[in-house]
Amino acid sequence: MADEVGSEQLEKRAPDTPEPDPIADRSMSGALLVSSLLLIVVMGWSLFDEVIGQRPWKSYQSDFVDKYSTYLKGIKPQQSEAEKEVKDSPEYQELDRAYQGAVKGAESEVKEINSKIRAIDQKVTDITEPFQNARAWVSAKTYELEVAGSESSKKSIQRSIEERRKEKIDISIHNDAGALEDKELDYNELEALYNGLRDEKAQLTARLIEARKEQTEALTERDNYLQNHLTGLTGPQVEQLINKMDKFDYTIKQIHVAEADLVDRCESCHLGVREPVTLTADNKSIGDPAFVSHPNKDLLQIHPPERFGCSTCHGGNGRGTTSVEKAHGRYKHWLWPLYYKENVEAGCNQCHNRDRVTAGADALNQGKDLFQNAGCTGCHRYEGFDRETDALASASQTITQLEMERQARLREIREATDAADKAETNEAARELLRRANSLEQMISKIDNRIDELEIQSKYLMQDRKKVGPNLKEIRAKLRKDWVPVWLRDPQAFRPGTKMPSFRLDDDEIRAISAFIWQSALDVRVAGQPQGDPSHGKELFKTIGCLACHSVDGRAIDLGDGTIGGDFAANLSRVGEKANYDYIVRWIHNPRRRLAPYSPSLKRDLTPADYSQKGQPFVFDEAHSKSPVDGRELLVHNMTVMPNFRLSEQDARDIATFLTSLKRSEPEYPDASFMDDTSLAAQGEILVKRYGCAGCHEIKGLEDEQRIGTELTPEGSKPIERLDFALLTEPAKMGLDPFTGKDVERGKWYDHKGFFENKLRSPGIYDVGKERTPEERLRMPNIYLEEDEITALTTFLLGSVVTALPETIRYSPEGGQKAVQDGWWVVQKYNCMGCHNVLIGQDSVLMGMAMYQTGDGKEQLPPRLTTEGARVNPDWLLKFLKDPSLNNGGGARPVTAQSLAAHLQGEGGQVEQAAYALASQSGANRNGVRAYLKARMPTFNFSPNELQALVNFFMGASSQRQPYIAERLDPLTSDEQGLARALFTSNAAPCLKCHMTGDPAHDAIATAPNFLLAPERLKPAWTERWLVHPELISPGTSMPSQLFVRDDEKDRWIFNGPTPPAFQSYDKDHATLLVRYMFQITPEEQRRLGTGGSSAPAASPVSVNSGPRADRLPRYASVRAP
Amino acid sequence: MLKRLSAISLMFVLTAFLIVGCNGGGEKNGEPANSGKKEYAPTGDEGTITGTIAFEGTAPARKTIPMGLNDANCATIPGEKLTENVIVKDGKLANVFVFIKGGPAGDYSFKTPSEAATLDQKGCRYHPHVFGVQTGQTIKILNSDNTTHNIHPSPKNNKEFNEVQGPGAAPKEKTFMRAETLIPVKCNQHPWMQAYIGVLEHPFFAVSKEDGTYEIEGLPPGDYTVETWHEQYGKKEQKVTVAAKGSVTQDFTYKDTDKAALSPSSLKMQPALVLP
Repeated sequence: MADEVGSEQLEKRAPDTPEPDPIADRSMSGALLVSSLLLIVVMGWSLFDEVIGQRPWKSYQSDFVDKYSTYLKGIKPQQSEAEKEVKDSPEYQELDRAYQGAVKGAESEVKEINSKIRAIDQKVTDITEPFQNARAWVSAKTYELEVAGSESSKKSIQRSIEERRKEKIDISIHNDAGALEDKELDYNELEALYNGLRDEKAQLTARLIEARKEQTEALTERDNYLQNHLTGLTGPQVEQLINKMDKFDYTIKQIHVAEADLVDRCESCHLGVREPVTLTADNKSIGDPAFVSHPNKDLLQIHPPERFGCSTCHGGNGRGTTSVEKAHGRYKHWLWPLYYKENVEAGCNQCHNRDRVTAGADALNQGKDLFQNAGCTGCHRYEGFDRETDALASASQTITQLEMERQARLREIREATDAADKAETNEAARELLRRANSLEQMISKIDNRIDELEIQSKYLMQDRKKVGPNLKEIRAKLRKDWVPVWLRDPQAFRPGTKMPSFRLDDDEIRAISAFIWQSALDVRVAGQPQGDPSHGKELFKTIGCLACHSVDGRAIDLGDGTIGGDFAANLSRVGEKANYDYIVRWIHNPRRRLAPYSPSLKRDLTPADYSQKGQPFVFDEAHSKSPVDGRELLVHNMTVMPNFRLSEQDARDIATFLTSLKRSEPEYPDASFMDDTSLAAQGEILVKRYGCAGCHEIKGLEDEQRIGTELTPEGSKPIERLDFALLTEPAKMGLDPFTGKDVERGKWYDHKGFFENKLRSPGIYDVGKERTPEERLRMPNIYLEEDEITALTTFLLGSVVTALPETIRYSPEGGQKAVQDGWWVVQKYNCMGCHNVLIGQDSVLMGMAMYQTGDGKEQLPPRLTTEGARVNPDWLLKFLKDPSLNNGGGARPVTAQSLAAHLQGEGGQVEQAAYALASQSGANRNGVRAYLKARMPTFNFSPNELQALVNFFMGASSQRQPYIAERLDPLTSDEQGLARALFTSNAAPCLKCHMTGDPAHDAIATAPNFLLAPERLKPAWTERWLVHPELISPGTSMPSQLFVRDDEKDRWIFNGPTPPAFQSYDKDHATLLVRYMFQITPEEQRRLGTGGSSAPAASPVSVNSGPRADRLPRYASVRAP
Repeated sequence: MLKRLSAISLMFVLTAFLIVGCNGGGEKNGEPANSGKKEYAPTGDEGTITGTIAFEGTAPARKTIPMGLNDANCATIPGEKLTENVIVKDGKLANVFVFIKGGPAGDYSFKTPSEAATLDQKGCRYHPHVFGVQTGQTIKILNSDNTTHNIHPSPKNNKEFNEVQGPGAAPKEKTFMRAETLIPVKCNQHPWMQAYIGVLEHPFFAVSKEDGTYEIEGLPPGDYTVETWHEQYGKKEQKVTVAAKGSVTQDFTYKDTDKAALSPSSLKMQPALVLP
């Protein structure tokens, strides 16, 4: 039992375990392990991130160092070899010998001077310390003297200074033999010695430079030779770069432009940008596009990154270094992403927004051209473009304000005068009367301003242009039934036309056609007899039409394809739409309107308005005041098409040719609805809605505002304000709006994407929307080519509100400012259609095959890249005003009889035939180059534009104004004889090509008359032209090598046999000829005779021998004018 | 992907081309930099192309140029002063430039002849009126007249020049380094003076004589295109096969209705050439 009990008691028991202690007994090791591991990982991660993750540029840098070093080592032998080759060349050897010789020649002198300088240095060192001690003491005492209070203390200080100056100072100085010598000098002697030594050293140094001059020059010449004959770097230069890479410093490379508060770290990765060797992505050892050199070294030179940074031009986040995406600013928190390659010139515009043309920025310039020429300015305001419209509005507003001010002043005068009458004292009365007098004078100042504003308004009206034709004249100009056909699809009738397509339905087309037809002036132009189409064709081809207009090459026998410029319309189908009589009138003088428009009365004036005042119905530049209220009238058509000063017959010939241009005999659907007056009201609403008056002149809508948004700051608009509408999601996902497929570029929710799609398809952001016609987007389809879309997108992307300071932006002064301002005029009238204005730019004509033959080249209008240096600005102004240089002669005077008022005929007024084509001043002549078939037309520039153009050309050729012609030394009679002999010698070609006034010769001449030279040319340019015409105008008919250099006498001498009298003439021959040309008179020219012509010398000498461009005199039948 | 592949392969080709080009450029024999081809060594198998240029229709009559209008010195020089733009005799057309294109000759380079081609200005005319040179071959320009001329070629692929050459002046030596058919040459002072220079990389060209015949010798056997060019009547082409040591006849016929793409008269630019 006990056992039982015992066994029961002996039962194994678990020891009593105490209650677990919540603090001591619980193990935290697991958690600790985990968290410490975590800590290590995080630490590792942060370290990694610190060293590598956040610094991707480090791997870029090491990658670059590897690749670049490899590349450099690769090119080193080749460069050294090339260098050796140059160094082995006899030319280099000779230069090197010259250098060594110079070194040898100067050796003894240099050595002597150097030893003298060393001796002086030694002496100066010897005495510097004692002298400076003494001088310091004297200076200190002198200061005490200056600040001393009492006269007595001043005196005592003075005395001690005097004493000290006399005290002897012990010095030891090297003598000329080089041994030390002790001396005792007083202060003044020591000072003289010290200064003397220093002077002597300065003299010796100057002598040393002089002695080494020859070797320095020889060295420069030798090194220049090496540099000029070696492509790329020399061996040592490559070596230097390799060393630089070996010691490469791995840090952030940063540019800080304090002026603009800009930090750019782009070069932390883009390390090859400024390397002296050109690195390209095609380069096998470089490979990475991140490492390439800047593609335009010249551009970088004018825009040094230290001053301009990188992101100013390229966009992107210059501070960003943590990832490519961030640095390039292509994430949603950065407003200025890096420009894509095709739009990179957008960056130029930030600083060059006031430039109409930025040299080198072709896409940007193309964008600006399109913006102006395609008529964007009709609907969209943009600072600088179509500036006349805004300036006119502001001028008329200012005039109104000034008139109000004038009234107020008049009242003040009355009040002051009244008050003076009632004044209590004479003084007060006098004071008030004085005030009244001042106010009167102020009124005259206001009147001055009003007058000037009136004149400016006249000029602005003259310069204001519209892109499209004047719709007030369509009843005279167009086939009625063609209008609706055109409106339906302008591109179908004339591919490439500027007229956009407005996505109109049939009702809209009917209403619009009816409105513009009914609103047009009911005037029929005088009937014209038919002309000679083959002569018209010849004129059309040669006179210059093709610089702006294009035409089917087959129409002018120049093969398939379109020929000509795209500045103005393609004329291949004019015959299907236009009224011949109107075209004759238009070609004769496109600026002439059917009726003047009065902005003050807001209506077109009629002959009745004139006859009521007893005035003839004459309106032009000289007759621009309204007979009704005396205010300025709009007397020109707002077209840039110039006046070619054609004869009536030529105008008919060209018009006959043009109206013969048809694809087929047109058949249009009936358009009688255009006379339905009930449609007009709806039409007017539509015309206003679509902003037609932006590009066209339309009766009653002259003061319509632009309907589009202002685009000056479009590139800075926050992305949220660009309405992607239902395309927001596809844009953010990078899907094509039409196909829904992935877009190559990826997400396009950015400015570039918005602009490109809008330009490609202007109604695109209406996709998927339910909208009434009034609510739809109004921007019409403009059918741009892809390169044009890129150009306009570039321009819009660059249209930003800049935060850059004015000092960084391009704001030139003087001549450069004149160039900046002048470009607006040059581009407005398409001067570059005929002329080479910008270096590297070919005119439209130059690009045409017919001007590339030897004969064709002689017919090219002149290059104008040196125009400002060539001509006298006063002459240029005169010429631009009247390129016939006819001084207003030649026109039939307009008489009251010839303008006997308009006749009332059936269907409206008919112009009086006699005035229909009044002959014009300078008809059929070119003022300077009468031999050119292309004619410099009359542009009717206002004085503002004339001055802008003259300043442009002067500025572009670095010419300052005013120009006062320098007076050349008069020729002695000997010199006159010499020059005359040279001019007429058979060795000199001058008179064979230059016009002489002899009609028979001038018919085949190909260069201007010398009689023009004195007034027209500048002597310095003329001399350069004689010597090196090929530098001024490559391809010119003027031959080069007419003169050779005579180094001995430092002059140019005629290259060929000279008349015997020249033996004793030792002056410059080119200068002699220039002086002769600048003093040539008609009599002198007659004496010269002509270039071998059998015809008698011309009777009255005129600069041009008369009209010739229309029907050229031929050999068999040379006709005098 | 395909696009990229083709871009890469294009790059390869270009690089290869560049390398080849560079090697060639190193040679110092006056060859233009782009002829990295092997110089042709005659094998004795060479063949010949001969032929006649016929003319159908009415040839415009040659007219007398009134040279005196520009330059009395020209008028006093004896000799005929007829226009040279169309010279037809017995139905055969002279001054047609004939040359070969492609074929085995295109695979080789040919030594630049050391003798110069001569262009003489004599009687206020260019002699010859049409001629050919090889790239890099010297053209020696003489002035045999007692008046001044200027030589003004209008090349497209070579450098233009316009230099005056007075009476008795030393000959000028010029070269064109790139092939171009044909370079018009003009004297601006005497607008009727026109010459045409064909510049080719090989010596296989000829100018039809007064009797309309031409002959091109020494051709490596193979298939060629023969091109003819006339200043007024334009270009024509024919394919021929030259057998080893063979002789091929290839005649051409121009018609009076043919027109050069841009003959000088397609635009009556220069009144001096508009003759009664």
